[in-house]
Amino acid sequence: MKLILHQIALTTLCFGLLYGAVLGFTFLVFPDPPRVGWLDLETSDTTPYRTATKNFFLARDVLDVPDQKVLLIGASNTLVGFTQRSVQALVPCAKVSNLAIGSANITELHQLVDLVHEVQDEGARRSNTFVIGVWFGMFADTEKRWPGPDRHHGDTDLDVERYRYGFYRRTSTGPVATLPPEWLRAGALLIRPYLLVEEVTRDLTVEFRRIVLGRQPNLTEAQRETAVMSEQDKSDALAYWRLNMGSTSEISQAQVLLLQNTIDELLRSGEKVVLVDLPIPSWHRDASIYQPGYARAVENIFNHFAGRPNFQGLKMADLDEDKDYVDEVHPKPHLANVWASRLASVLTPLTCTARTATDPEAPCRSGLQLPPTDTDAAKLSAGERALPKTRNAHDGRSTNIRQADGRVPRCVR
Amino acid sequence: MSFVSPIFFAFLAITVFAFHLNTSVAYRRRVMAVANAVFIASYVNNVSELLPLLAFLLLGYAGLEAVRRRQTSSSLAAGIVVVLAVYIFLKRFTFIEPLARLPFPYLIVGLSYILFRVLQVMVDARSGSLPDRIGPLAFFRYTCNFLCFVSGPIQRYQDFATMDGLDAVRLDADRVYEAFSRIVTGYFKFVVIAAVANYFFMSFSPQLFGAAPLGPFKLSLLYGFCVAAYTAYLYFNFSGYMDIVIGIGLLLGQVLPENFNRPFTARSFLEFWQRWHMTLSEWFKLYLFNPFLMFLMTRFPAPGLTAYLGVAAFFVTFLVMGIWHGTTLVFVIYGLLMGAGASLNKLWQIACANRFGKKRYRALSQMTAYIYLARGLTFAYFAVALTCLWVPELHQFLTLSKRLGITGTGGAFVLLALSFSAAALILDSVVAWFSSRGDGLRAVSEGLVYKNMSLAIRILAMLVIASIFNAPADFVYKAF
Repeated sequence: MKLILHQIALTTLCFGLLYGAVLGFTFLVFPDPPRVGWLDLETSDTTPYRTATKNFFLARDVLDVPDQKVLLIGASNTLVGFTQRSVQALVPCAKVSNLAIGSANITELHQLVDLVHEVQDEGARRSNTFVIGVWFGMFADTEKRWPGPDRHHGDTDLDVERYRYGFYRRTSTGPVATLPPEWLRAGALLIRPYLLVEEVTRDLTVEFRRIVLGRQPNLTEAQRETAVMSEQDKSDALAYWRLNMGSTSEISQAQVLLLQNTIDELLRSGEKVVLVDLPIPSWHRDASIYQPGYARAVENIFNHFAGRPNFQGLKMADLDEDKDYVDEVHPKPHLANVWASRLASVLTPLTCTARTATDPEAPCRSGLQLPPTDTDAAKLSAGERALPKTRNAHDGRSTNIRQADGRVPRCVR
Repeated sequence: MSFVSPIFFAFLAITVFAFHLNTSVAYRRRVMAVANAVFIASYVNNVSELLPLLAFLLLGYAGLEAVRRRQTSSSLAAGIVVVLAVYIFLKRFTFIEPLARLPFPYLIVGLSYILFRVLQVMVDARSGSLPDRIGPLAFFRYTCNFLCFVSGPIQRYQDFATMDGLDAVRLDADRVYEAFSRIVTGYFKFVVIAAVANYFFMSFSPQLFGAAPLGPFKLSLLYGFCVAAYTAYLYFNFSGYMDIVIGIGLLLGQVLPENFNRPFTARSFLEFWQRWHMTLSEWFKLYLFNPFLMFLMTRFPAPGLTAYLGVAAFFVTFLVMGIWHGTTLVFVIYGLLMGAGASLNKLWQIACANRFGKKRYRALSQMTAYIYLARGLTFAYFAVALTCLWVPELHQFLTLSKRLGITGTGGAFVLLALSFSAAALILDSVVAWFSSRGDGLRAVSEGLVYKNMSLAIRILAMLVIASIFNAPADFVYKAF
């Protein structure tokens, strides 16, 4: 037994030394990202975490701040349609985080909310404004969305990250944290050697994945702006979404119910919610078998929460010109600016009111730059359809949020 | 209990610690019995899931006792028939499942390997080659040894008995390092190399069943790549498992039999099976091939027929061995392919010896071109036949066969054989070059620091690379 313990000690010592050396090296290769109180998952590939889910999961503790926070959650169209920088520029009273994750369904949104809450104290939670961007593609059951053999049955992308480094363990009742949330930052630092290898692997296999596995690199902004879908592309897209929805003919009612429950939980805990019915190009909306059921479900949810304080609904169905979309779902950059301004018109009064009500001096101490709203107004006039129409949750009527002079409301002292 | 779970490592640490706490044989046997019970219990959620396994073990023990007491061929035959029938029922072979099945979920992991052990002791009890009467607890420790429970190796009772609770291995610092190194290497193979091969396999194989049209060359290339990736996955997964259990066995005073001996250096299909899953081949040789050949030779005593009777015996043995791997009709096809491979190989040997004479045939088989071509053909045949293991449903198998046709399968076979031959030749040359210049390195590699740092590097690489994959790896042979 002594011999075995001796060997264990030797192996542990060597492993500790090696791990420590690699850990130290990682700080030279990629310094810790600055902790600014917000996250932008669109730029995850510039962080040590590289993927959106990993970035969110490991860096979410930065959201534990008392400032007003706008947390954008949804799928990839929320990620590219409400870019962090464009929304932040128009919403001066809050720190805007874009936490949208590609291919997310409602289950994953719910998990995302839970994971945010896990790292926040009561005060930080109360200053959350969740913006939930939805479209029909998000209402697929998890087992059907990720049926692949590469993961445990029923795991979302976030679940995969939970278990990947042992921060959570799998139980019959769901994931249970093995690492206390307050230790998340320490855990994220300790696993840096893992991140280093993942980064090197990704970099070394980019060409391989492109050529052999057919993984296409992300389009540049210019390419996205000029993209045009052919009839074949449209047909392929419809087939893709049918497969992605689990080859069913209707959206999942369980996912609808889960969205309703998620919003309800948020409102009950005193957080604010903006539910955004994201537009898709008209050809897709008209051709998809899922759109009618989805439209009914979202309308019901809007009606269900109408009148609840802290809830706002935003519909942008008029922004459906085919030529404004890169593909069947994602807006081109110029349209994304319009999306952002529409959202800002709802968020600015919501967040500034809350902020000034609790701390009138806060906007001017925050260091956040107020946006040049005249310029914005000029930009927006290029797409006058962008005039922000929101549905007032209290009376259900559409109201024009923009001020009479065309300027979006500013945070005032 | 997954071999990659923290619970398994805790279980292992406790078992090894408890085992070495006392040197009493009776104590150590109790420790191993408890460890086996805990290990098996970890696979189930309630007791009812264990009942069929317990019943099978009781039946096996009753059969063993009946054969030992009566010492008649009829009692052995009856015992074998009953045990096999219950095994087929419990394993839910597709042809029996619609007729009868137990109406609740139960554990079938390990059942195939228990079957081998039960049949072995029954046959040996009849022939009188068992050392003593096997007590029920010894029977349990032998059939349910947690080291061999999931995927073998198939150890003979006579070998197990020599180390049951005894110090068959005298541990010293080098032996302990060897055990640790073997375990880490096993995990590295299993968690990293096999997982990477599986990643490629899983990435490409769906295209074989997709609707997209593929030209004959692309189809052959794709199929060839998939079968090569699956073969690599299977080998590193299974041999990794063997390294792990053999290493753990050393720490528990057991020398488990090796299951692999560089199988891809085999120059013929028959040699391949002397190097691949060796304990399975050995079992079939002892308990099916030899008795069956003896039976045939008794029935057909003409000396000129002996070689051809061997061909028939090989066919039947490999057919049964193939069928053992699964419960669907595709595994019958697998068995036929294995049987055809073995008997054609034997016929080739007979034909060459007749045509060239033994001396010239031996000279021919020592030629470099012959060696590498034979290695390539052996690999290609085995890899293509393994398709049955990853397309276990008949309708899928037929769809794939139809799509590939003779051209696709043949093209892939030729591509595999030639690429493997070339790769093996290059690899052997590189290894030989390094071996001739490795004296200095060898001296360094014996040092304590080097040895332990190399262990640490393997552990780190394994942990880090394993985290890249979304799901933990599992042992593929567990399913057979």
